[in-house]
Amino acid sequence: MNMLTFYKRVGLFLMLILFMGWGCKEESYVYEVNDVDISPINSTKNKPKTEAQYISVLYTNLFQEAIGPNRMLEALAAIQSIGDKRVAYDILVSKYMADGQVVLPSEEDMRADPEAFVRDTYRRFLIRQPTEAELQWMLNYIESRPNLTPELVYFSFATSNEHFHY
Amino acid sequence: MKRRDFIKKAGLATAATAGFPYILPSGLLSAQTTAPLTDHVVFVLFAGGVRQQEAVLKRYLADSQEEDVEGNIMYNLLTGAPPESKIAYGLDDAANNIVGGIPIDPVLQTPLDQLGTLFPEVRFSKGGAGHYNGLATGISGNYALAQGLRSRPASPTIFEYLRRHAGFDATDCWYVGAGIGMSRPLLNYSNDPEYGRRYGANFLAPQTTFGTPGMNHFMDFKNYHPETEWSMIQEMRHFLNSNYVEEGLEIPHLYNRPDEQDSIKEFVRATFEKVEQGQVALPPVNDNGDLKTLGFTLEVLSWFKPKITVVDLTNIDVCHGSYTNYLKNLHRADHGVGFLWREIQRIPGMANNTTMIVMPEHGRDQDPNPIQDINDWYAYDHSTGNENTRRIFTLMVGPGAEAGLTVGDQDNPVGDATDVVPTIAELFGIKQIVESQGRLDGNARSMFDRM
Repeated sequence: MNMLTFYKRVGLFLMLILFMGWGCKEESYVYEVNDVDISPINSTKNKPKTEAQYISVLYTNLFQEAIGPNRMLEALAAIQSIGDKRVAYDILVSKYMADGQVVLPSEEDMRADPEAFVRDTYRRFLIRQPTEAELQWMLNYIESRPNLTPELVYFSFATSNEHFHY
Repeated sequence: MKRRDFIKKAGLATAATAGFPYILPSGLLSAQTTAPLTDHVVFVLFAGGVRQQEAVLKRYLADSQEEDVEGNIMYNLLTGAPPESKIAYGLDDAANNIVGGIPIDPVLQTPLDQLGTLFPEVRFSKGGAGHYNGLATGISGNYALAQGLRSRPASPTIFEYLRRHAGFDATDCWYVGAGIGMSRPLLNYSNDPEYGRRYGANFLAPQTTFGTPGMNHFMDFKNYHPETEWSMIQEMRHFLNSNYVEEGLEIPHLYNRPDEQDSIKEFVRATFEKVEQGQVALPPVNDNGDLKTLGFTLEVLSWFKPKITVVDLTNIDVCHGSYTNYLKNLHRADHGVGFLWREIQRIPGMANNTTMIVMPEHGRDQDPNPIQDINDWYAYDHSTGNENTRRIFTLMVGPGAEAGLTVGDQDNPVGDATDVVPTIAELFGIKQIVESQGRLDGNARSMFDRM
């Protein structure tokens, strides 16, 4: 290779580099969408219900009718008379479950279409759909517990921490 | 034992224990702990507003109705002969149509002031003479000077001190309320950010729990099988709650362990059965709410054998409108507390190792209001600023309290309404820890330090 050819090649190489540099200039795209933190589906429920609100919602969810004012005041007094509210609500829900008027799906319905039962239960008590993980856990639980009844599932949802918040 | 001897021995005992840290039953070890003086404490807030004149001064009608009749109508607590005329504080004498004409027989053979130590002239030294103020002061050792009715005590309660510093369980600590009014359900723990619900006491207002509200909403509650049913509820609830883990966002419980929660539920169930069968351990005379509250308190004591129990009474407060009924309820409060003490001595595990403290939450006015009752006697309020409302007494009986000792008198007041908290702390060996938290009123001192 003579000198002229060498200089030609070097020149071409430098021009190529220069051209590629222009061509690789990074573009900045702005989509005008803010960054979002991913939070649990129930994370917006961070306000505790008052005792009256909780009893009212609980009664409606279990009996599918509104609680009367006198019954409401009585239930409120009963709850206030016991300091540990978890214990008090457990007793209250246990009492309601013994009432016979609680509107419950049948066990046959639960077993026939467990996914519909789980989705309905989440909607009734927690006002939302279950996540896929929650749905699978509940379906597995129902399937693996032949003695599980809708009443026990309702009890658990009714006395869960999420049900106490909005 | 003479007072001087007692103080000498108590001082020696204190000196002997001061240098040796004591390992509390909870396992806590601190240089500030001392040996507990008792295993159980029952604190009766002899509440509703009691005038010194009809209580420790035993003046009956003499200082209130311009009637020359004196006498002691609290003869289970105090030594002294009852009035000899114008008897209106007892049971109704239907045969002779005399309201309150038959005094209730004494429950105790020996009055409690002979069995324990009496501070006859104590001061409710700050703030207004309101019931909630008084109750909150008694259990927190601090005056609720800037506190609304519907808020928890600003300073830690004795329950919180004991749960946090002496390692008491939740069911070791009970507040038995005369009802759910006057913010009583808020008295089982404070708003103090370093204490609070984590260290709260169990609360029970038995006349509500086992009265009409509880009968309609609790009684005959379903009993789930612990292994085949309740365990599944627990598992599902654990799953649901673990998916909802925001700090503090939970049903406001009192950190009762699962076995404690079960015990409370079984207590409620068993007590309903007793109510139905008329087997609640009520005092011989039980014709007012206070006497029923004391009966249910005995049920709590028998079931849980708590280390600290506070019970408050309220019926004395009818004095706003009827002096005669005030006398009757004061007489009944004495009857009920005498019965409580007698029955505690029959509870296995609490007999002979329980200390009881009795203190009104505040006094009542010196002068009457214009309301007259069936005997034409004038009623009394408890007004802010009236010095007579600041006059109360404190009685302590049981382990730690010297028998027959009286500290102070009308001309030499000794003690403060805030003293009970450091006194209970000393009874359980954590006085120095409690005092070092800086939450007690400046006047508060252990009664042992005032002897």
